[in-house]
Amino acid sequence: MHSAILQAMNGISLAALLFLLASGFTLTFGLMRVVNMAHGAYYLLGGYIGYSITRQTGSFALGILGGGLAIIPLGFLIDRFLIRRTGENHLAQVLLTVGIAFVIGDLALKIWGGDNLKVPTPMFLRGATELPGGIIYPTYRLALILIGIAVGLSLWFLYRRTQIGAVVRAGVDDREIVSAMGINIDRLFVLVSALATFLAGMAGVVGGAFLTLYPGAEWEILIYALVVVIFGGLGSLEGAMLGALIVGLLDAYGRWLYPEFSYFVLFGPMAILMLFKPQGIFGRSG
Amino acid sequence: MQANQVRSVAALIGLAAALAAPLAAGPFWMALLTQILIFGLLALSVDMLLGHAGLFSVCHAAFFAVSAYTVAILQVRYGQPTVIAAPAGLLAGTLLAIVYGAAVRTRGVYFILTTIAMGYIIWGAVYRWASFTGGDNGITNVPAPAIGGVPLQSPVAYYYFVLAVVIACAMGYGVLVRSPFGLSLRGIKGSESRMQSLGYRTTAHLYAAFVLSGAMASLAGVLYVYYNKFVNPVTASFNISIEVALMAIVGGSGTILGPFIGAGVFLGMRNWVSSFFELHAAVIGLVFIVTILWAPTGIMGIVRRLSGQNDSAGSKSE
Amino acid sequence: MTAAAVEVQDLNKTFGGIRAVNGVTLTIAPGERHALIGPNGAGKTTLFHCITGTLRVTSGQVKLHGHDVTREPEYQRTKLGMGRTFQITNVFTDLTLSENMALAIMGTDRRKWVLSRPVSAFPEVRKQVASGLSAVGLGERADHKVMLLSYGERRQLELALALGTRPKVLFLDEPCAGLSPSERQRIFAMVRELPRDITLVMIEHDMDVALGLADRVTVMNRGQVMAEGTPEQVRADPNVRDVYFGHA
Repeated sequence: MHSAILQAMNGISLAALLFLLASGFTLTFGLMRVVNMAHGAYYLLGGYIGYSITRQTGSFALGILGGGLAIIPLGFLIDRFLIRRTGENHLAQVLLTVGIAFVIGDLALKIWGGDNLKVPTPMFLRGATELPGGIIYPTYRLALILIGIAVGLSLWFLYRRTQIGAVVRAGVDDREIVSAMGINIDRLFVLVSALATFLAGMAGVVGGAFLTLYPGAEWEILIYALVVVIFGGLGSLEGAMLGALIVGLLDAYGRWLYPEFSYFVLFGPMAILMLFKPQGIFGRSG
Repeated sequence: MQANQVRSVAALIGLAAALAAPLAAGPFWMALLTQILIFGLLALSVDMLLGHAGLFSVCHAAFFAVSAYTVAILQVRYGQPTVIAAPAGLLAGTLLAIVYGAAVRTRGVYFILTTIAMGYIIWGAVYRWASFTGGDNGITNVPAPAIGGVPLQSPVAYYYFVLAVVIACAMGYGVLVRSPFGLSLRGIKGSESRMQSLGYRTTAHLYAAFVLSGAMASLAGVLYVYYNKFVNPVTASFNISIEVALMAIVGGSGTILGPFIGAGVFLGMRNWVSSFFELHAAVIGLVFIVTILWAPTGIMGIVRRLSGQNDSAGSKSE
Repeated sequence: MTAAAVEVQDLNKTFGGIRAVNGVTLTIAPGERHALIGPNGAGKTTLFHCITGTLRVTSGQVKLHGHDVTREPEYQRTKLGMGRTFQITNVFTDLTLSENMALAIMGTDRRKWVLSRPVSAFPEVRKQVASGLSAVGLGERADHKVMLLSYGERRQLELALALGTRPKVLFLDEPCAGLSPSERQRIFAMVRELPRDITLVMIEHDMDVALGLADRVTVMNRGQVMAEGTPEQVRADPNVRDVYFGHA
């Protein structure tokens, strides 16, 4: 029972991290119809930059902020000058952004090398905390869950309860109508895109503190984010939340109960979902 | 000279060169040419779906690897002869395609994402199920294949064998592409809604194409493991699935020669570039970017444009 | 008593909160020329989509020549003799006209599954392709790619494709949408010449043309059937005049 709870918490903390990455990816698709496979590379690069900042300044918070902000201009340039040229051709987008991810990954390798790097965390987040019920759990992961909840709530609030969120939702539903209403759709795209890249970069720093950063990490995290989005449905924020929880929990329990087949535990249910509702739980048909 | 004639002459020259190559080439080139044929075949299998049915599958390395691993395990661990191992490998990969074909219930970006995830299942399996697959180390010391009891020891002999298989496949592929079934795939790519209103059960056609394509990828996997003499999880990686798609596009999607030309360009470049560049992943990435944005019809597309084939005369598809 | 060619019973189609088709009941006799008219947004194309199978009905029943096809997918309905053209031209632009026509001819034929022989090895298909294309005046351009065709020529191809499946009931959704007057004449001449063993159901905006061609007319407004009868009856109906000529 004890282990089961521990695994559940592992799953939830992973879910928090995955949500940071998947939310940006799914909104980018929902609003701009762009599939950006370089999201994993944004995670890695943001993580590395945050790592360097934290090591230099001694501030984890600065690292998180810096890692997220640094990716925004890069993401903007990539969107405007490269991705934009592919229109809505998803195939081209996938290949293009994979290529971009290869380039970013290789450059990161050149700069930070191939060793596993761990983003240093502040003292108060290290070690473990005792929770009610006598459960001892790593403090950092608890913090991660809190961060995930905080970001999730903020995003949800922005999305569901603000004017700008309403515009974004309308845009996800029907882009033409929104621009016909005179709203500068371009500016909206830039904003959402910037938020998505910020979250990806920030996730890199936050993830890099317990999963570590290394060449290849960008693909491992991306594939998890993709499964989250497949489960939750492209374009749905709530889907990203639910999907992240499902994936996080399946991964934690899979690794614990069937380590050799943990990928099956994760992808098996996904395959079953594909058979019955290919657009995901909150996805829309067509 | 008419465009068709140019193409036939070019094909004949290519064939002659391919047949004569071992006479002039040393072991490095023989290995490279064999690789180009094998990966060209894998790229062709991906292009059956991409260039003809409009489906971008990013999991073909899974079929490639499953058949390669099956052959390797049967030959190395269970001492089975080629006559059992090779068909078993082909069958294993095709069975996986039969199961994975369920993905054709999705379209567009969902299909792409689903195949990415399906590819990772196999990669994860061969990587983590170390007790069976050898994990990171893979399976080594795969012996030379014995065709009719005679082992094909020399690289040259194996090269000719691979060449023969690839030519046979390419010819079969050509027939398929010109057939009513092949035309129906292109119809689905053009307008699935129209096809349905014309009486086609489009998902069934796409499923059949997926399985055929998976079988072809499995065949490439069998050829690969005997060439490489070992197999490891990299064989099942996302990278391979993506790279062969790029080969098909760089060479010219929708053609038969295109995937092979693309394989030649890619593998040639990789061997050449990595001899004086460390950043070869970045170079590959740049090739992706440049091709997608500025040369999406690939090399065959450029050749066609130069030989004036983009006029009103209809295309017999290649 | 022969079954009606098309029977629609209390058909409803809702999208989210909007009822696009509201309780439509319709019967069309075999061989009949039936026009479906009404202002924009009346639900005519949606009704077509429900009958042909492009959309699933929310409730109600659709029968083609006595077969209940309400739950059948579109390709199945085509096998039972349904054919349609689209309002927005839906042809295969990257293929040649011959290839377009061949796809239509083989749509309901088992031979579409053959993968061991080229299309050109089927002489009957070649013959039907040639006759299908010349019937709409496109015989000479058989080897051209569709993307080189003008809009009017593509509408001709659109009709040819629908006829290629040898339909018993043909649904034409604004066959002349966007055409010049001479092009309209041409399409209408072709439609008029279609044999009576094909039932025709046509959405058409031009009232005069529709009423000139049709045996019976159904007028739709706001998802419902507003009036039904012969062209004369409909022309004389005051409600129809209101909807079309003012006093909304």
